[in-house]
Amino acid sequence: LVVEIHLHTILQRKNETGRIRKMNIELPPGSSLAEILGALEINLPVEGLLLIVNGKNADLRCQLDDGDIIHIIPAISGG
Amino acid sequence: MIKVSEITSDQEFIWRVDVRSQKLALEPIPDTWQKLGGRALIARILVDEVPGACEPLGVYNKLLFTPGLLVGHMLSSCDRISVGGKSPLTGGVKEANAGGTTGLQMAYLGIKALILENKPAAPGWWVLRLSTQGASFDPADDLVGTGVFEAAPCLLERYGSKVAIALIGLGGEMRMLTAGVQNLDKEKLPSRIAARGGLGAVMASKGIKAIVIDAQGGRKPPLAAPEAFKKAQKVFTKALLEHPQTTVYRDYGTAAVGRMALGFGALPTRNFSEGQFEDFETVSGEYLREVILGRDGEGAPTHACMPGCSIRCSNNYADENGKSLVSPLEYETIGLMGTNLGISDLDAIARLNWEVNDLGLDSIDIGAALGVAAEAGLMEFGDGEGALKLVHEIRRGTPLGRILGHGASIAGKVLGIEHVPAVKGQAMSAYEPRAIKGTGVTYATSPQGADHTSGLTIRAKVDHLDPKGQAAVSRTIQINNAGYDSLGACLFAGFGFSAAPETIRDLVNARYGWDVGLNFLQVLGKESLKSEREFNRRAGFTSADDRLPEYMTLEPLPPHNAVFDVSEEDLDGVFNW
Repeated sequence: LVVEIHLHTILQRKNETGRIRKMNIELPPGSSLAEILGALEINLPVEGLLLIVNGKNADLRCQLDDGDIIHIIPAISGG
Repeated sequence: MIKVSEITSDQEFIWRVDVRSQKLALEPIPDTWQKLGGRALIARILVDEVPGACEPLGVYNKLLFTPGLLVGHMLSSCDRISVGGKSPLTGGVKEANAGGTTGLQMAYLGIKALILENKPAAPGWWVLRLSTQGASFDPADDLVGTGVFEAAPCLLERYGSKVAIALIGLGGEMRMLTAGVQNLDKEKLPSRIAARGGLGAVMASKGIKAIVIDAQGGRKPPLAAPEAFKKAQKVFTKALLEHPQTTVYRDYGTAAVGRMALGFGALPTRNFSEGQFEDFETVSGEYLREVILGRDGEGAPTHACMPGCSIRCSNNYADENGKSLVSPLEYETIGLMGTNLGISDLDAIARLNWEVNDLGLDSIDIGAALGVAAEAGLMEFGDGEGALKLVHEIRRGTPLGRILGHGASIAGKVLGIEHVPAVKGQAMSAYEPRAIKGTGVTYATSPQGADHTSGLTIRAKVDHLDPKGQAAVSRTIQINNAGYDSLGACLFAGFGFSAAPETIRDLVNARYGWDVGLNFLQVLGKESLKSEREFNRRAGFTSADDRLPEYMTLEPLPPHNAVFDVSEEDLDGVFNW
């Protein structure tokens, strides 16, 4: 099970090649969004996060499928 | 009649200026206007004084400036000025607000509302100066034909560096329907625009190139309970600073929203024909910050548009040599003049933005008009130079330029394009309503026309593709936003107010000695929307005007292949509270 993760704003990572805002992660079958947050050590309060799976809001229990596109967003309200 | 010698900020008055006789009358505030400010007061004045069916650029329309109820105390993010009148773009009610210093200095003069009425006796251009001495008119013919970035320094030299200025650019002079009113920021740049709905053209119809507000001798409005105000201010400021959204907006600005819109498939792309842009990365908020920080010189990733703002979501975008290209560069402009045009080069977007600012035009409606023009074959999608050439047509006032300067709706009609992302004649902001359907409800039903400040719903934790329940989501946000617009509060001040809602009540009561309740924000919002809808009714609007363009209900939007399918019953029930 491989999913594509998009990390927004303050969640983007940095390594020697620059900033990482998009990555693929391999997970055991049956994994949920909660396990992704754990794996990425994202500890922000969940009420302040928006989690998008394949274009739709999702909650921590959301079961993931191979190829899912996931956005993890410190929520903001518009521009 | 109140005498000019009575002008102090200790008592607020209505300042009524007849642009024909060039006389100022100071009037007491009618009882029914007392507890209104900003947007709600504009709607009330329009209902009370302006015939709904009047010609927007004619003798009966009025141009209104109303500071919000909390303006004048440098409460963080709460010193906005509302500008209003009957919109020449929509033909209905219009309020557009801006940061900068205009609101603050009007409050220091005790101006509850500035009403410009009538028409000049003969063609000509004037500077209207407001001070503790009253109002005076000076000829402005030497400033005609100048952009706002040339005119503002001349005015500052003439009237002193401490004044606030609200002015129009060439777009306003040409009475373009997308012309706004530019205001000085705290660095004296005329970059804070009350952009939407063509109020700059209304200002031009009154013969006014600029309004100079000189508050020397004025002072902060009085507080009925200074200690209580200070206490509530402290609670509000703490809540605002501790709110997680404040950090994101400070570091990334509104451009942070781009990736979120991309994630929902709601990023306007190539004239609203797709919801995701393949070259998004180089127009993202995260990349914008990297570019600004990577270039030495005048650029800054964070900047306050109003004195005292602690969010600082504005920025200054510099070129490779460190010379400022535009300030600010924001999400709506990146969406409409970037992805909507297929342009992935921030420098090109920034140059377009500066040109449009200098002309005093609304970057949302001009961006949408350029998208329509691209679909009509007047430029290639992705061609920043081609877009700039079209903006130069606007500056030169050529026939094509005038068509584009009137915005997306007129451009679509003239160019024979069906795909025009607009409601009530006003272009949509950078959220695809087929992918964020609650925002679609707001676009359809807001009395202001499609608008980015009337009620965006992207933050709501709902299924944005499901048509059910979107009317209720939109209703709540439309009411709250109309309330914030009436307080003079930036919508982002809402982070603090939503965490400490009692501070709205406490601040208002401490400022005025009133006894408003916890629901005052909603009381204000509902009052505003009710008056706005009444004005629109008198102007001839019906429920048929509360609809999205037909093609958005029929043509699926990639990547979700969604159409806008919120029922007409739901749309017509938005204001049944």
